[in-house]
Amino acid sequence: MAEVIILPKLGNSVESCILLGWKVAIGDQVSEGTVLCEAETDKTTVEVESTASGTLLHLFFQEDDEVEVFAPIAIVGSEGEDISELLEGHSSTEAPKGSDTPTKQATTEVPSQVSQMQQESSPQATDFATGAPVSPRAKSAAEQRGVPTAFLQGTGPGGRIIERDVLAYATTHEPLTPAAKDQLQGSLPPAVGSGVGGRVTTRDLHGTSAKQPATTTLQAAEMVEVPLKGVRKIIAERMHHSIQSTAQLTLNSYADATYMKRLRERFKALPQEHPLAKVSLNDMVLFAVAKTLKEHPHMNAHFLGDKVVQYGQVNLGFAVDTPKGLMVPVIKSAHTLSLEEISVETKTKGAACGAGNIDPDSLQGGTFTVTNLGALGIEHFTPVLNTPEIGILGVGAISLRPIQRGSKVVHISHIALSLTIDHQVIDGAPAARFLKDLAEHIKNFDMLFMEKAYMSNKE
Amino acid sequence: MYDLIIVGAGPGGYVAAERAGALGKKVLIVEKGALGGVCLNCGCIPTKTLLTSAKHYAYAKKGGEFGVEIPEATFHLDKVIDRKDGVVKKLNVGVAFLMKHAKAEVIQGEATFLGGTKIEVNGTTYEGKNLMIATGSSPAMPPIEGAKLPHVVTSTELLNLREQPKSLVVIGGGVIGLEFASFFSTIGTEVHVVEMVDEILPMMDSEMSRMVRRSLGDVTFHLGAKVEKITETAVTYTDSKGTTEIPADTVLMAVGRTPNSQGLESLGVTMNKGWVEVNEKMETSVPHVYAIGDITGKSLLAHSASRMGEVAVSTMFGDGRDSMRYHAIPWALYTLPEAAGCGMTETEAKDAGRDIKVGAAQMKSNGRFLAESTAKDGGMCKVVVDAKTDVILGVHMIGGLCSEMIHGAAIIIEGEFRAKDIRETIFPHPTVAEVIREACFALK
Repeated sequence: MAEVIILPKLGNSVESCILLGWKVAIGDQVSEGTVLCEAETDKTTVEVESTASGTLLHLFFQEDDEVEVFAPIAIVGSEGEDISELLEGHSSTEAPKGSDTPTKQATTEVPSQVSQMQQESSPQATDFATGAPVSPRAKSAAEQRGVPTAFLQGTGPGGRIIERDVLAYATTHEPLTPAAKDQLQGSLPPAVGSGVGGRVTTRDLHGTSAKQPATTTLQAAEMVEVPLKGVRKIIAERMHHSIQSTAQLTLNSYADATYMKRLRERFKALPQEHPLAKVSLNDMVLFAVAKTLKEHPHMNAHFLGDKVVQYGQVNLGFAVDTPKGLMVPVIKSAHTLSLEEISVETKTKGAACGAGNIDPDSLQGGTFTVTNLGALGIEHFTPVLNTPEIGILGVGAISLRPIQRGSKVVHISHIALSLTIDHQVIDGAPAARFLKDLAEHIKNFDMLFMEKAYMSNKE
Repeated sequence: MYDLIIVGAGPGGYVAAERAGALGKKVLIVEKGALGGVCLNCGCIPTKTLLTSAKHYAYAKKGGEFGVEIPEATFHLDKVIDRKDGVVKKLNVGVAFLMKHAKAEVIQGEATFLGGTKIEVNGTTYEGKNLMIATGSSPAMPPIEGAKLPHVVTSTELLNLREQPKSLVVIGGGVIGLEFASFFSTIGTEVHVVEMVDEILPMMDSEMSRMVRRSLGDVTFHLGAKVEKITETAVTYTDSKGTTEIPADTVLMAVGRTPNSQGLESLGVTMNKGWVEVNEKMETSVPHVYAIGDITGKSLLAHSASRMGEVAVSTMFGDGRDSMRYHAIPWALYTLPEAAGCGMTETEAKDAGRDIKVGAAQMKSNGRFLAESTAKDGGMCKVVVDAKTDVILGVHMIGGLCSEMIHGAAIIIEGEFRAKDIRETIFPHPTVAEVIREACFALK
């Protein structure tokens, strides 16, 4: 006997939901608890489960339909069963999923009116629309609150703009005046305007026009205005994007730097023209990172929204402080390079960045980044991911740490390490394992160095 | 150490004290005169008290038209002044209560500015984290021959006149001059207004300035007239037609106001002809020193001063988002009949290069106005709208109690409402305010 599945009441105040997508298709076998579809309420998205077992015989709604609670959404029964009676019992006999027939509902007239209103109130909306789909519930919420959906970042499935995106925008942004809404074009309206109660007025949209007196700041002598442009602007955009689009987690650790330091002292004692004479501690860390990344390919990856791409080649970015701002040149195939080759790369690329004549290609294609504030006395910090990379290592200053050796406490030089990962795609434990192995390589840097020399000799 | 020291307890200073007090700030407010400033003691409030008496008198005289005969209405200036004093006193007490409620300390005395945020009052030095200059303005006395004669007075003295003058010459056709002209002409004094430029009320829509002039039928206007000298019995002026002498037993000097900037030099704030320069956050050129109200010369109105005080308090103690906006400050003229306006006039909008549409509605076509007015009364409402965007730029009115509905225009302009938004808004009926909505339907 076929059974009708209804949309359950999903909360006290929920009257209806927007169907975001079916997880099952007609003909599928479902059992009690099988997730049938995802639905969006005014607060969250929920999974609707089947309350019966059998073959899915009919779906009453399509994606994006608004469904009232307790409405029938699907029929489950035995294959080939006659369900016409059940269908008749429910006035809404929708074309099933996959059909080309446009959705018809009890509220057919309303959506067409809504779209007309939208066109009227924001005629330029399509000029700058991101093209991201907008759920009907989000659309109506945006209508009510005057939220320009074209500017929203959707957090629904596939970047779809759903109601909570609209509500989040509305709570952090002051409303636009009716005239400002009319004149909204191209640019993003500010969160707070200069109008009454912080409303965004037409003046805020058009900047300070000639007719409007410019903001006079009499105490200007105490302030310096620096326009955001060039490298700074790119950094601002990228940093903001990074923080907005990732779930950053920073792990802090130390590595025994005794051998690394000792080796460095010996390199420094070499004649100036020796290729190893100019190797810095940072070069040595880069060398160790490249080696460790090769062993942990999950850290040498890009997160591209719907997938993670792991790379066999380590293209190691390293942060350079320049007069124009932070730049990150990339050492291609760093895992194949010897310590002196890495050292040459960092010197030439770092100098080119400082001089402002770096080849733009050298700033691209990184798979992991290392940034170093150790020389400035910083121990630990929280590096910001260089998206779409999923890891960045912050290298801190070397300090003495007390270590118990038998009954004695000795003070050993340690270098501070801060690893930021994108927790969306990498968990704390695998990242910690990477950091542990890196610390181990640094601790045994002399071995790592010799191993590399040995391997290349063998080749 | 006070969080804020305010010098001047007018509608700017005392409102700022109230707001800062509400935020739990320690406030000291210094006043050399009476609490409430010009507004409460010799401006807004007392003039309205007098004008109300004049209105009652005028209604009594034309009561017959409403079927109410009052055979012998008489006007007693002496009693009117007593009543005015009573109202002012009540409000003085009211402000004192507000200060107490705000836990603001009030000191009676003249402040000496010691530089920075330090002042001295009655021999004691006080220091605040912030200092607010709210010293206001005084009637200006131009250097005209005879201006120092005893019968030449300012609005302050005229408010205490207990004997009705036979004739009054008002020098200056601005708001202050016209309210006194309206009052004295209504109670039977022969009133002349001498104005230097070609029309009274320069901030007003020119069509309406003419209407105000005509509605004050008992007042004689001399426009484009320059006062040459004042004698014990007459005022002499020259205009395009030559020199004329008008008899006067009292002369009101109402040609404008000058800043109360004595002693401000020691602060080192940037000033322009005595007015203290401020930005839209009410900051002066000296850190932690703010100026609000008349002393800034930006807008010499009590309600502007109050708002400036609030903006300054928000700059000092709030999130700093609040700014002073001057494009939607309403003004009102309490003559019989009243006039009021907010935003751009037709002329101002055209001068600013705006492509505009104008809609007007007559008071005589309004139900309530007709029901409550005499056959002679009239007036109109005009809305100025941007032709391209439909945004309402200005609303101007004359007739009835339009001062009581001009705040609607302020909300419309602050909110950047379009004429179509007002057409979609329901106004109560019957009210005179419906003329605003009607004017939006009459746009051409």
